[in-house]
Amino acid sequence: MVYEVKVNELAEEFGVHRNTIRNWINSGTLPAQEGPGRRYLIQLEDYRKLCEKYGRTPRIDVTQSPVQPPLDTELPIDNFDTEPSLLTGKSSSLYSEPALADTCNTCGSCASSCPISGVDGLDPRKIVRMAFLGFEEELLASDWPWKCTLCGRCEESCPMNVRIVELMRALRASRPRGKVPSPIQKGITTCLEKGNNLGIPKTDFMDLLSSLGKELHNSDCPGFSTPIDVRGSRLLITINSKEPFAQPENMTWWWRIFHAAKESWTISSENWEGVNWALYSGDDNAMKTIVERIVDNMERLNCQALLLPECGHAYYATRLGLQRWFPETLEKFTVYSVFDLLMEYISEKRITLDNTTHTQLTAIHDSCNYGRKSLKTFGNAFYEESRAIVQACCPNYTELLPNRNDTYCCGAGGGAWASPYTVERVYYGSKKARQIKESKAKLIVTSCHNCKDQMEKSLNREFDLDIEVKYIWELVAQSLTRVLS
Amino acid sequence: MPEGKKIGAVMVVGGGIAGMQAALDLADAGFFVYLIEKSGAIGGAMPQFDKTYPTNDCSMCIIAPKLVECGRHRNIKIITLAEVEQIQGTEGDFTAHVKESPRYIDQERCIACGQCSNICPVSTEDDFNCSLGPRKAIFIKYPQAVPLKYEIDSGVCLHLKNDKECGICRDICPAEAIIFHDTPKHHEIHVGAIILAPGFQAFNPQKRSIWGFGKFPNVLSSMQLERILAPTGPTGGVLARPSDNSSPKSIAFLQCVGSRDKNHCNNEYCSSVCCMSAIKEAIMIKELLPEVEITIFYTDMRTHGKDFDRYFNRSQKEYNIQYTRAKIHSLEPGDRKGSLRLHYANEQGRQVEKFFDMVILSVGLETPDSAIILAERMGIHITPDRFASISAFMPVSTSKKGIFTCGAFNGPRDIPQAVIGGSAAAACAEELLSAARFQQTAEISYPEERHHQEGQPRIGVYVCHCGTNIAGVIDVDNVATYARTLPGVIHVEQNLFSCAQDTQDFITQQIREKNLDSIVVAACSPRTHEPLFRQTLKAAGINEFLIEMANIRNQDAWVHKNTPGMATEKAKDLIRMAVAKVTLQKPLHPIKVPVIARALIIGGGVSGMTSALNLAGQGFKVELIEKSSLLGGNALHLYQTWSGEHVPLYLKELQEKVFEQENITVHLKTTVTGSTGHAGHFKTVIKSGSGRKKTIEHGATIIASGGKRYIPKEFSYGKIPNVVASIEFDKLHMHNEVRIANGESFVFIQCVGSRNTQRPYCSKSCCTHSIQSAIKLKKEVPSRRIYILYREIRTYGQRERIYNQARELGIIFINYELHGEPTIAEGEKGALVQVYDHVLHRPLEIEADLVILASATLSNPDSKDLANIFKLPLNSDGFFQEAHVKLRPVEFNTDGIFVTGLAHYPKPVEESISQSLAAAAKASALLSKKTIELDPITAIVDLEHCDGCALCIEACPYAAITLVETATSDGEEHKIVEIDPALCKGCGICQGICPKRGVNITGFDYDQLLAQIEAALQPAQGHSQATPAPPEQSHGK
Repeated sequence: MVYEVKVNELAEEFGVHRNTIRNWINSGTLPAQEGPGRRYLIQLEDYRKLCEKYGRTPRIDVTQSPVQPPLDTELPIDNFDTEPSLLTGKSSSLYSEPALADTCNTCGSCASSCPISGVDGLDPRKIVRMAFLGFEEELLASDWPWKCTLCGRCEESCPMNVRIVELMRALRASRPRGKVPSPIQKGITTCLEKGNNLGIPKTDFMDLLSSLGKELHNSDCPGFSTPIDVRGSRLLITINSKEPFAQPENMTWWWRIFHAAKESWTISSENWEGVNWALYSGDDNAMKTIVERIVDNMERLNCQALLLPECGHAYYATRLGLQRWFPETLEKFTVYSVFDLLMEYISEKRITLDNTTHTQLTAIHDSCNYGRKSLKTFGNAFYEESRAIVQACCPNYTELLPNRNDTYCCGAGGGAWASPYTVERVYYGSKKARQIKESKAKLIVTSCHNCKDQMEKSLNREFDLDIEVKYIWELVAQSLTRVLS
Repeated sequence: MPEGKKIGAVMVVGGGIAGMQAALDLADAGFFVYLIEKSGAIGGAMPQFDKTYPTNDCSMCIIAPKLVECGRHRNIKIITLAEVEQIQGTEGDFTAHVKESPRYIDQERCIACGQCSNICPVSTEDDFNCSLGPRKAIFIKYPQAVPLKYEIDSGVCLHLKNDKECGICRDICPAEAIIFHDTPKHHEIHVGAIILAPGFQAFNPQKRSIWGFGKFPNVLSSMQLERILAPTGPTGGVLARPSDNSSPKSIAFLQCVGSRDKNHCNNEYCSSVCCMSAIKEAIMIKELLPEVEITIFYTDMRTHGKDFDRYFNRSQKEYNIQYTRAKIHSLEPGDRKGSLRLHYANEQGRQVEKFFDMVILSVGLETPDSAIILAERMGIHITPDRFASISAFMPVSTSKKGIFTCGAFNGPRDIPQAVIGGSAAAACAEELLSAARFQQTAEISYPEERHHQEGQPRIGVYVCHCGTNIAGVIDVDNVATYARTLPGVIHVEQNLFSCAQDTQDFITQQIREKNLDSIVVAACSPRTHEPLFRQTLKAAGINEFLIEMANIRNQDAWVHKNTPGMATEKAKDLIRMAVAKVTLQKPLHPIKVPVIARALIIGGGVSGMTSALNLAGQGFKVELIEKSSLLGGNALHLYQTWSGEHVPLYLKELQEKVFEQENITVHLKTTVTGSTGHAGHFKTVIKSGSGRKKTIEHGATIIASGGKRYIPKEFSYGKIPNVVASIEFDKLHMHNEVRIANGESFVFIQCVGSRNTQRPYCSKSCCTHSIQSAIKLKKEVPSRRIYILYREIRTYGQRERIYNQARELGIIFINYELHGEPTIAEGEKGALVQVYDHVLHRPLEIEADLVILASATLSNPDSKDLANIFKLPLNSDGFFQEAHVKLRPVEFNTDGIFVTGLAHYPKPVEESISQSLAAAAKASALLSKKTIELDPITAIVDLEHCDGCALCIEACPYAAITLVETATSDGEEHKIVEIDPALCKGCGICQGICPKRGVNITGFDYDQLLAQIEAALQPAQGHSQATPAPPEQSHGK
């Protein structure tokens, strides 16, 4: 049987760019002939194979009866002839608490919530089931837990409070380190060895920071110099190594805000990395070491407050690490989220914002780590704070649907941006892309590096979104009212 | 029973169906009832529903007679807008302090004409319609409300907020019933027992954003849908999308919203009723809009009640309703304006996106805060799920003596369970207070009946205005003038409201003064109001049957609003017909039959013993018939209840109590061989083991003949030794037999013999039972591997907790369907079980030491004989068919016979106990009367015309007609039918079917009906013919 398809329809169905479909056709991955108009003819079999690969229910299926047979009629079960798996009843070494799998009543709401359900034939419910039934080898061999972004949407929907994210992380932790996706493992190893994920030498870092400071002094912020290792500063900030490595100017958004707010702040010259990929790899020892370095810096520089300015996961991982391993430090110093600090500046009128520079239709993308996961772990999700800040800058505001706690992950969380599963990442992001498209927003504001990269560099192109993506601090820095000094 | 003061009155808190049933049963059995209702009218949730499952009866229509009965019962005092503030005293002697909030309406004066509401300028959201429509500040809860009295919502009334404003209702009220200065009233009530029936509230889905309620206009709760589907609801029964009023093409139902959820709400339990409600609502939608596509998204379809699975199957086969086993995470805006996107993983684990025009949230039931406060005030315990804490063995008793409980407060339940609970609570209160029966109740005495003279009728006609209901359409003056011209009419009166109490007094007085011998009331429906006028006739000293009603409101003014001229003519026709009929009406006198205060109970299981003990405790004699040599029935095989209570101990106690109770005579090894007679006086022949026969005379019969277990034919039962049925397993487990003591791996298989094509019903207790056994096994040896292979887990209500507990303990649940049943082969250790996993979609293999088959509960084969002996119906599964599945769950259409326990349908112990208490309540209402009056409207054989053709015998639904031999005066033998007046209900089927005028219904005989028809065909000529003696006419009330 042959079908006529349009490239854009197929692209939409599989959540990839039109060019991707054309590439598949040109390379022969998807055998197709040119048809009438601007259509292609494909074999039903090839279409089905493609669906299988992407875990999609075929949109076109003539064999599917429009009427679902009643429950008591004979239904063919696809796999019944395959060799049965023997249930050994061995207790799982993956987890000890029933809340990690046993309490599941297989209702499927986790699978319903997950954008990559069906990819590799798996979904959160199946993972939980496999863990529960003791299919460990199969689970550890599967890449699915790495394609999952640990966004927590499944867990949020679970009526039985199964701790799915924790189970997923336990699965990642159980893999031999050599089999962890290499960019992630390499980042952690480099960080442990050299103090930051990309191994930037101290001298290079110092030079970069001071020259950037000088530039700032000469342009927008007269009198500015980058405060490195300034003991007794109120605020210590960490850095995401990606910024000094590739986008150094991005660091200056915060610097401008600090300058305007007359903040007393500093950056450590050593172990300044804020990113903690051990959260993703499940390596608790590494995670603790990286958090401990920040604690050391806080003590060495005698600061009163800590800001992890760059990323949702850095905030989440560090705060979680502090809570878990260094709870006493939380008595000694404040951990700011970007929203806390910006709100403080605004309410204390240390900065004032101009709402005439960003007039395009704007929406917020709620990052999972600051939102859903923070709410569950720390009791605060910053949903309203982020909206107050963005709406102070952007008068023309809309919402992505769903949002806040029900938001879809961008598709790049949990280390997925750095991992090799590109196709899945794009497919995952198709949900986000659809949300953005439907909202008609032209500016998306977010508070996370991964989210920004995914939406700006990947989804924007794959799905022709034609949007701008900004960090919330970037938006604030660009909306600062210039005060005549 | 403890000695001490006993007050023969009971306070029932909550006027829903459970509370109403308790009140009616108590009042009928000689106890005075205070019915305390929080809102302005009784009825609870039932009046809000459109239809009821599984019979699709109209909810309002079936509850309305009960409402009227409660409202009119002379031994029920309804206190509305009331709240219990304090309770003092102990069982037998309580003092309750009840606060009645101001209604701002004088209930004695209000005639419910509705003029106040029409003119009221304030509109607010109507709670009764789930905020889908408006109501006024002065309102009645719903049109059929009891009491039918208006009330003012003080929160929104302009005048009550500021006395300088508005107040126009007071000016317009013709009855001067508005009291703006009304204040709270405090009642001190002395009662011997208290029954709590505070009911439930629907879960509010707005609490979490995921369900989109309040965010997307086309997302409705199931309660809202009920109102929309109701013909009297805010849309008049038209289903359209709220967003654009378009007709929906596709509708999704999401189950378990606010139930079985520890995360989004704290309701861990299953709400028990929502699966069936959703099926019913889906069917109703299909009836309205056959083209609409409906999908129900569910976790387990819990259709565990009688005939529920059939209903479920029918919804798929006949109505093509789709079922998808998936829980939806959240709702998103859809592809078209107003539609909704549902994203889910289907049963094959594939991602699917579907768009629906509307989404219905099947919201759960929860206990309202006010009920928790009430429980605290009473000092009674509640469960972690916030329901009344009750024992399975005492399913309507709270933790405090003398305080009973019923309805959804005892755990989420459907209407029949609530009705059964209401009756059961009444039975318990009756047993407690039996010494004080008739102590507080009143009998009204009437003057002696005047002799009725035939031939010269003196008819009075009362034309009712019904406020503007009738007078607004029909020219009532014209009608009254016309009525004067009718033959036999000597007096005509016009009333503003004929049913008002003062009008009743006025009519009584006039009947005496004018020496009227019969009356015609041209007003509303005899169904609701004739009993009222009958009382009036009795008070006036004439026979109560000498009345005819012409329904010029419901059947005339209301339906011909737009053609008032023709409506007036029709009113004349109706009155002319009524006059013609009442002219031929003869006085009727009910037959009084003495009642034998003894009950016969068939079946000595838990059900039979429970009924027996309650009735004996109330002072009635009981003959308890048991076929075997031992009391206990099927419970002899049970180990514990779902809540973990020990059954053998309880059973032993029960047996001892039965043997000790003087009022009970136990007949072991005895069967029933025949029975004759009727309610109040049955004669039943019993046969003992030795073959001796004996006749027992009794007033009531309770059938508690139990059920039977299914012997499996499936799963190599009887072939592989390690495959056992659940009852056998329980015994092995109790003795810790070696296979169990050493067993490491156990597999339970559910629905063995149930829910198949041969027996399409659920045995109801097996899921709970297997889970309990599994938990016990696991707790004994935690390393044991236990698997439960199920089709749906049906741990309804608070039983859900043990399902959750089982999973927490690591018991593995695997779902199978009929098309992929597990297979069993003999294995090295015991058995090798193969089953297809519903999540992983691959076959699994389990080495089981023991396989336990949860086999079905069957009807007792003896039921057939009993059904023949007592002429009772059975359903197609062999269980006794009750009179009405919703509202008469223990009765039959034949009076005086009741059913309980497994004879009715498979059920767990506590439901059997509850039902047995209910059956006892029904029996005691009958047995407590010295005599019963049989309705005189019955069929009478016309000896001249009946030739014994026997056509009527088959047609009679009550088996009241028999064929007998008789001899005429000249000694010629011939056959003729005989009608038992005690069994006859006067339905008239025999009169209709008789080709020879051989049978007549009193009060509806041939002559009367003919006269009525002739009158109907005669043209109305009010002005053309002058009557010989123009009767006087006055404009009185």
